[in-house]
Amino acid sequence: MFDGAALLHLTGIGKGVTGLKKNKTMIVVFLTPAVVMFSIIFLYPIIRTVLMSFFKIEGVTDAMSKWEFSGMANYIKLFNTELFRISMWNIFRIWLFGGLIVMGLALLFAAILTSGIRFKNVFRAIIYMPNVVSAVALATMWLQYVFSPKFGLFRSIGKALHWEWLEKFQWLDPSHLFIALLVAYCFGMVGYHMLIFASGIERIGTEYYEAATLDGANRIQQFRYITLPLLKGVTKTNITMWSISSAGFFLWSQLFSMVVSNTQTITPVVYMYQNIFGAGNSMTERNAGIGAAVGVLLSVCVVLIFVVCDKIFKDNDIEF
Amino acid sequence: MKKKMLSALLCTAMVAAALTGCGGSGDSAPAAEAPAAEAPAAEEEAPAADAAEAPAASGDSLVYWSMWDAAEPQAQAISQSIEKFTAETGIAVDVQFKGRTGIREGLQPALDAGTNIDLFDEDIDRVNTTWGSYLLDLEELVKTNDYEASANAGLMAACREVGGGTLKSIPYQPNVFAYFYNIEIFEAAGVSAPPTTWAEFLDTCQKIKDAGYTPITNDNAYISSLFGYHMSRLIGEPATEEVVKNGDWDNPAVLQTAQAYEELASKGYFSETIESNQWPAGQNTELAMGTAAMYLNGSWLPNEVKDIAGEDFKWGCFSYPAVEGGVDGTEASNYGAQVFAINAKSTKADQAFQLITYLTKGEADALLSEMSVGIPADSNNAEWPALLSNVKPVMDSLSTRYPWGAGAEANADMTPIIIENFTKLCGGSLDAQGFVDALKAAGN
Amino acid sequence: MAKEKKVRERVNWHKELHLAPGYIILTLWVLFTFVLLGWVVGASFSTSKEIFSGGVFKFETGIHLENYAKAWNTSNVSVFFMNSLVYASISCVLLIVICAPAAYVLSRFTFLGNKLIQNGFVAAMGVPATMIVLPLFGLVAGWNILNVSLANRAVLIFLYVGINVPYTTIFLLTFFSNLSRSFEEAAAIDGCPPMKTFWKIMLPMAQPGIITVTIFNFINVWNEYFMSLIFANSDKVKSVAIGLYGMINSMRYTGDYAGMFAAVVIVFLPTFILYVFLSEKIIAGVTGGGVKG
Repeated sequence: MFDGAALLHLTGIGKGVTGLKKNKTMIVVFLTPAVVMFSIIFLYPIIRTVLMSFFKIEGVTDAMSKWEFSGMANYIKLFNTELFRISMWNIFRIWLFGGLIVMGLALLFAAILTSGIRFKNVFRAIIYMPNVVSAVALATMWLQYVFSPKFGLFRSIGKALHWEWLEKFQWLDPSHLFIALLVAYCFGMVGYHMLIFASGIERIGTEYYEAATLDGANRIQQFRYITLPLLKGVTKTNITMWSISSAGFFLWSQLFSMVVSNTQTITPVVYMYQNIFGAGNSMTERNAGIGAAVGVLLSVCVVLIFVVCDKIFKDNDIEF
Repeated sequence: MKKKMLSALLCTAMVAAALTGCGGSGDSAPAAEAPAAEAPAAEEEAPAADAAEAPAASGDSLVYWSMWDAAEPQAQAISQSIEKFTAETGIAVDVQFKGRTGIREGLQPALDAGTNIDLFDEDIDRVNTTWGSYLLDLEELVKTNDYEASANAGLMAACREVGGGTLKSIPYQPNVFAYFYNIEIFEAAGVSAPPTTWAEFLDTCQKIKDAGYTPITNDNAYISSLFGYHMSRLIGEPATEEVVKNGDWDNPAVLQTAQAYEELASKGYFSETIESNQWPAGQNTELAMGTAAMYLNGSWLPNEVKDIAGEDFKWGCFSYPAVEGGVDGTEASNYGAQVFAINAKSTKADQAFQLITYLTKGEADALLSEMSVGIPADSNNAEWPALLSNVKPVMDSLSTRYPWGAGAEANADMTPIIIENFTKLCGGSLDAQGFVDALKAAGN
Repeated sequence: MAKEKKVRERVNWHKELHLAPGYIILTLWVLFTFVLLGWVVGASFSTSKEIFSGGVFKFETGIHLENYAKAWNTSNVSVFFMNSLVYASISCVLLIVICAPAAYVLSRFTFLGNKLIQNGFVAAMGVPATMIVLPLFGLVAGWNILNVSLANRAVLIFLYVGINVPYTTIFLLTFFSNLSRSFEEAAAIDGCPPMKTFWKIMLPMAQPGIITVTIFNFINVWNEYFMSLIFANSDKVKSVAIGLYGMINSMRYTGDYAGMFAAVVIVFLPTFILYVFLSEKIIAGVTGGGVKG
């Protein structure tokens, strides 16, 4: 605690505080535990990871004496590897398309949930439920049941509705596996982002809506002119969180390509794993330095998105 | 135990209280102050409660990190045998069932950090190549204990080969990679003997198709092996590995392999859903259900599908057929084992070796083989599980050892691309030239 | 709760009609969820053969309770469960105590280093867990304390908290930044010191955010896999996620898919009840508290 406070003083944190007295102490006292925790857990591994990305290293935990300096070679190799480029393209697709779908549905559901419907808690609990179930079970369910070309749920629905395209659609072949993955993943993520949106809407005072109703605004107008503008901050949180979970996208990718990875579902973290622990059952070359470089690149992407979001949403911050 | 329960309950109650507390009216009780004061105390209390009943995990016993998960039959067999071992020898064993991922991801960091581990096990190649520098040389121990008198000579030789000429690991739970088939379908189609050449293979496929069954199925997890084995039959495994590693897709064997599979696809020998088969769909819904006849896989397959295929499923087995003008014949395939190895830093190497000997010989080995439907390691245990009886001749006929996938997965950066395009080739949505072009395009 | 019931007694049909599209959309989604999760539950009562022939909902060979008996007997579920409950509960409380003040300060005051800290936190979340966890393990394992289960537990909880600090702080930022400054000003005029103002006024006002992030943290810690795998050195301190993974893998390697789904349901049910219980409590608190922005 004491050290942290000293550190903050040294680095000049606490300057430029406006207004209220005692704020300096407050900033130091309130910030220190989190910053100290953060430094203990993250600082060493992050610095090590950044360093590692410039070396050729066989095992992640190898002692520094075994590292072999290779300059930018890891980064150059990454950009020249088709599979890594594919994995970046996949993650971008998941982030963009998945993001649009998930944010759209999550906002819609959150708006409906907070519009005064009954059984709100029940709906909320059920929509969030897939997040509580093990991903391994869900992925098995999607792959072996919902998308099955023999007896799948989508096939049955297509049959019942006489939608031939749905009945015949081969979700799991190499050309469509990405769509299948996207559908399965988004289904699970909607509940999470819905909760964030809903908690944002709940915080908006009812008097805004009461006033608007008196002024004759209908529900959709209220949503457009009150809810949406006041949700900017929460939207920023949602985009940040979505970007972070996209960057770390790993488990679902692995579950959608058992044993060996797949061009449609491979993501940078899976690629990193292959380089750190070896791919599948075959003994392939390992280089933790490449893994570290992937980590660094992902981090940079996430920070960029965060900063951009900050710029977009900051100027329009609304106080109420 | 009671105390532990209580402290856990207290914690839950505390969280609940803290959370409901949050809901209290806006400016009354400062909800978060309560947990602020109590939480550190609780943290101390919870672990303290069981401190008394928690002796140091290892202490003086032998520490064995296992690749099996506790609920697997292999783990159960090993646990039973270890109990007997301890009763007989008085050597206590602390066995940690880490599972595949636990070992693959956790062993090296633990060894690097100097964690007290005496012995561990995993796949023959991984132990010897990835963790090779941590292993104790076992030649001395094997000699003094006359271990090799009843060990599988081929596997011991394989261990020496991957160990760089010296023995650093002891094999158990052997496995072999070959075509597994449904004998009943072969009989119904009038196929009397399993094919040994490509021409016989094509003939077999046609007969099976005529009899109304799907000749071949596979899953995304193993499909690259079809490519690897055919290539290796043509030009040998080392050459295949070179092609894959160096991206030499102009090698005529690549196109030749692709054409062979284009032919299979065009004649309709593959499952209709081959492109959509995500493991274990093919092995479970087609092979085990009795609609498809053949599947290129390892000898663990009968065990994996026994719940679905049933006890009376008759398993046949043959090595990947030889192709005309090819370098390798049916004597070459991937065979291997899980292996035990001793940590070079272990202070109890003798005891560890004693345990390894106990587990890989006689009763313990037979128990493991029986419970896990696996191949026994002790050559005196001549009786194989019934489901694998037809695998024995194949295993005995092998003399050349391929690595996993016969070289098809030698380049991790290419594996997914090979799989994608080869799957399309088998499904008929890509022709042989298209397959070669796709690989070439990705090589840049 | 009482308040809610009162509302329920008077059904305002006009209002309900307006909400009809909302009901329809949610109901469809919920139905879909039920079919999917229902399949998982159905699969846990059937056989592997039925799962792979599309016959899960038919129960042609009856209901197979033995799947549950098998899954339960092969693993030490109750111990894992208690461990996870303790880890998750303590971590959640500590996280709010540590992160809420930090988030408040970061969102409220401009000072040198503020943006740096925020970006540092976000960057940390972008680094894959492997790169964080394995070097840390290298450090901690060197101290030779992981063989004592008390220390092992303390280390685990410390890590669960530490690893979620950036997430929780960044999450709560918005919830504080959108609160009006007029509350602090009013409190200052009344002579309430800023720190007290935070605990007494600002924190309760950010409660929708705190509740939500606590649910997420709880589930995060509960499901955390990689770190627990590397750091939990003995069966005594293992968490549910590790236990479940072990069970799932065992069942998969032996082709016992019905057993695998039974294992999943065994672990899922208590978690879900806990989730419903927690969110009910929390939501009751919110509606009773009448948060005004």
